Amino acid sequence: MSDDFQSTIERRARIIATFKEELILRLNLPYSAEDLHEDISLLGSGLGLDSLDALEIVLCIESCFKIKIPDQNIAILRSINTVVDYVLEQQAQPGGGA
Amino acid sequence: MRSSVLKPRLAAVGAIFRERHGAEVAAQVAGRAAEYAAVRDAAGLADFSFLHKFRVPAEKGLDFLDALLAGNVPRIRFGRVLHTFLADSEGLLLGDCYVANNDEEFVFLCEGIAPDAELPAILQAAGAAEAGLEDLTESHALLSVDGFKAWDVVKEIFGADVLGLPYLSIEVYPFQGATVRLLRAGKTSEFGYLLLAERAIAPALFDALQAAVVKRNGCLCGVDAHDDLRLEGRFPNIQAEGLRVRDPLVLGLQWMIDFDKEKFRGRDAIHERRKKGLRKKIAGVAAEPGNGALVTGARIFHAGQPVGEVVADCHSYVLNRRLALAVFPVELAYSGLSFRLGAPGGPAVKTISMPPIMPRSLTVKLDEM
Repeated sequence: MSDDFQSTIERRARIIATFKEELILRLNLPYSAEDLHEDISLLGSGLGLDSLDALEIVLCIESCFKIKIPDQNIAILRSINTVVDYVLEQQAQPGGGA
Repeated sequence: MRSSVLKPRLAAVGAIFRERHGAEVAAQVAGRAAEYAAVRDAAGLADFSFLHKFRVPAEKGLDFLDALLAGNVPRIRFGRVLHTFLADSEGLLLGDCYVANNDEEFVFLCEGIAPDAELPAILQAAGAAEAGLEDLTESHALLSVDGFKAWDVVKEIFGADVLGLPYLSIEVYPFQGATVRLLRAGKTSEFGYLLLAERAIAPALFDALQAAVVKRNGCLCGVDAHDDLRLEGRFPNIQAEGLRVRDPLVLGLQWMIDFDKEKFRGRDAIHERRKKGLRKKIAGVAAEPGNGALVTGARIFHAGQPVGEVVADCHSYVLNRRLALAVFPVELAYSGLSFRLGAPGGPAVKTISMPPIMPRSLTVKLDEM
């Protein structure tokens, strides 16, 4: 594997692991990290979380990754992968979160 | 082959029909692109009568369904709907199911991939007669209204009360002296409603819904457009990737399973595979615009080696490129990676985060209208 390919995987895997661990803990989900597919819908179908859970997810992301989630956040919160995309995007900004 | 009571109406407007596991389905009516656009921008009416449809008295049905399905049936609150699946004894997918807790009854809808006669036989063997299961497959039609303005269509027929229904819920409405069971559900990313109606009133309901859909610049739809919409919205499709892969764990359907349950069909096989750990999983893939080779069955290469296989595909009208789901080894199933399609030196494709689109319906709050 090329360095770039491997580093993309490693960077993403780190964020996914952190986010899943926090998500399971904060929302008391009856699943292991491996059970949560990264494309699973967080709200509505899939995990079926409600608006209170959505607030918890926002707090979870902000505290884990030291980034701010905008108020109009429905596109970001669609799946674990869309959350991870946003985190990576923010971390790539000058002065991006941890 | 099983046909719908609504077939004459669809045939009259030139629908193209196809067989799905022993049932006849309308594949296309107005054309795939037009139907897709109708759902994204207005509303589409489709005949989903090919699904198996059942009702079972709540008292006996609860244990029967819970012992059968992967999800937790006792936890379905009154008026709500559970999306889960039916597996075979090997823990492989047989049916994509909705179970609705409708007061004195459970309504059970199953989109199966087994031969048409197999599901009733499985249910009988599981104790359907003792549970009082009533097969509504022939006696009822199932209509699907989906789209950005689908809520307006059903509001015209049943009143403003429908606007208060949350996703995955059921309510009962009168229509021409009969009862229509309305499920707010759908797998298109837009607003969606399934209407279970007795055969006697189904044509009249179809006509009323069609008129309301057309009034909003929508049209009749077939299952092909629905397949495209499901993939674009990353809703599981048992007729596409489900049929090809069948292992719910590889498909990422763990959210449909209650792993704490002591009994459900295929439980032991699923637990055994879960214990061993996932080796493969599904991921979204997108081609460059103009690359039409991203089709089901195509192989995906990395570093000169085949590493994945496409298991579902569509043209994404929003992204203007082909979109697919492919099975990869877990260590490669990450978004944002480049692969080659069809051969080591084939065109580049990229794994992507799903769902890749933002439907307009997610920007509308029906309870505030």
